[in-house]
Amino acid sequence: MAAPSPIDPRGPRFNQAVLASALLAGFLVDWRAVVPVFAVVLVLGAAFGPRYGPFLRLYADVVRPRLAPPRHLEDPRPPRFAAAVGVAFLAAGSLAFVAGHPGVGWGLALVVAALAGLSATTGLCVGCEMYLFLARRRGVRLVA
Amino acid sequence: VTVLARVIVVVALAVVVACGDRLYRRWRRHVEVDAPEHPVVPSHLREGAARTWVLFTTPYCATCGPVEASLRASDPDARVVKVDATRHVELADAFSVRAAPTALLADADGRVTARLVGAEAVDRYVRSPA
Repeated sequence: MAAPSPIDPRGPRFNQAVLASALLAGFLVDWRAVVPVFAVVLVLGAAFGPRYGPFLRLYADVVRPRLAPPRHLEDPRPPRFAAAVGVAFLAAGSLAFVAGHPGVGWGLALVVAALAGLSATTGLCVGCEMYLFLARRRGVRLVA
Repeated sequence: VTVLARVIVVVALAVVVACGDRLYRRWRRHVEVDAPEHPVVPSHLREGAARTWVLFTTPYCATCGPVEASLRASDPDARVVKVDATRHVELADAFSVRAAPTALLADADGRVTARLVGAEAVDRYVRSPA
């Protein structure tokens, strides 16, 4: 299978910054719809690529043209895997809200918010590291 | 849950993220610039050069090509050798290579005098060599 094209790593970090901010703002005002909404936002980017992720697209079309070229590129698969993990957490959180367990729902959403915030500020993407760990064990060759 | 409790939770999360940020940056600096106890770079890689950059790469590493070009341009007197870490696993393990690109600078005796992990570390070094 052909290796995917490397991407500007600032795109996923922008996406994670928006995600963390939105989830924290939603938690502050108890707007539970933010959880399934961002599950859908993440699944669009993870399943169909950056062109279909609203905030990845916003970064590519609006933010990136105003920035200097990236100093390095990265393999797109680790951030997509991380987004998929985020989707799983947010989907479970959404189900918890529906089942009448808002504490569990917000707990799962805040885990995602904390990890997304950490990734946005430091570049340490826990989901990406999980992917890299699995990729090494399976012999997947990365493109960056 | 009251609004105050929510604010406290959000502030606590922000503090955790900020602490994680500081710890991670400190660890990255340690990994990027610290030279652990390295074995001597084998003579067949140095071929008598006074300075040798050993650049560990992987086959699909997108940043390794630009990093190699950057090293060659910034240090034209040095020998630059690319080593595919997936083909020379024992050599990569001996130098504790965990990511590509990893660049090692060896002197004439094969002693490692600089270790740069990642394209950003190389970029920083090229702009202002330590």
